[in-house]
Amino acid sequence: MARMKFICDAERCIECNACATACKNEHEVPWGVNRRRLVTVNDGVPGERSISVACMHCTDAPCMAVCPVDCFYRTEDQIVLHDKDLCIGCGYCFYACPFGAPQFPQAGAFGLRGKMDKCTYCAGGPEENFSAEEFRKYGRNRIAEGKLPACAEMCSTKALLAGDHDAITRIYKTRVTTRGKGDEIWGWSMAYGGSSKLADQPVGAST
Amino acid sequence: MRNALGIVTAALALAACHEIPQDAPKPYAGKEDVKPYAGDLFKGDKAKFEETLTQRSNYQNEYLRTGSAKQP
Repeated sequence: MARMKFICDAERCIECNACATACKNEHEVPWGVNRRRLVTVNDGVPGERSISVACMHCTDAPCMAVCPVDCFYRTEDQIVLHDKDLCIGCGYCFYACPFGAPQFPQAGAFGLRGKMDKCTYCAGGPEENFSAEEFRKYGRNRIAEGKLPACAEMCSTKALLAGDHDAITRIYKTRVTTRGKGDEIWGWSMAYGGSSKLADQPVGAST
Repeated sequence: MRNALGIVTAALALAACHEIPQDAPKPYAGKEDVKPYAGDLFKGDKAKFEETLTQRSNYQNEYLRTGSAKQP
């Protein structure tokens, strides 16, 4: 069984915003909602690093734990999705998420908050696959087409890796061995538990 | 009689002294999702679906093209 995860390689990310643009374009995400965004630390000084951040589809997702209407579910491939018909836009998930992934459209008077929107790992939602309703609510369903998320596939430097745990840790391990640095995977222990060190990841065996 | 009343009172008073489990998995209350491999493309073949995704994942490894990687 596949365990879909994201890895963002801070050594490679050049802050080009192609991932965020690809996501916006693929799903026709409205203004003010950013399913994926770039975060830069030490901007303009030596040691500057950029990270592409979105929902990491956590192993023990805090958004699922705090949702008062239980609108979150996990697919067979460990992708965390939610039912927009059930969401009440309370914002608890936003406060619980360590990555700031949940987004809320504000399209009304008095800061009216709409239903939560977040990265779907390009896996759509609980509607018929490839239906207009699915696209309107959740965006395109690339996973059902046998494709990976648009952000990762569009990444020019392949800093953002998406796919099954075994496959992407193997790629990352080859990369770290070849260049000889960047052993730590950003956000890994926060999202998936265990160690962030690549050396501690059991490559070749599902965790 | 007094003892019995005392026992009943104590039992009622202590009835609320238990911890509701906070970490139990919560049920999903929304609509059922369709499996991604259920459509015309994979016709319910999960193995083919996973193979396709793994193949696609490996396209992200440019060292496969250049052949210049050091093996871990």
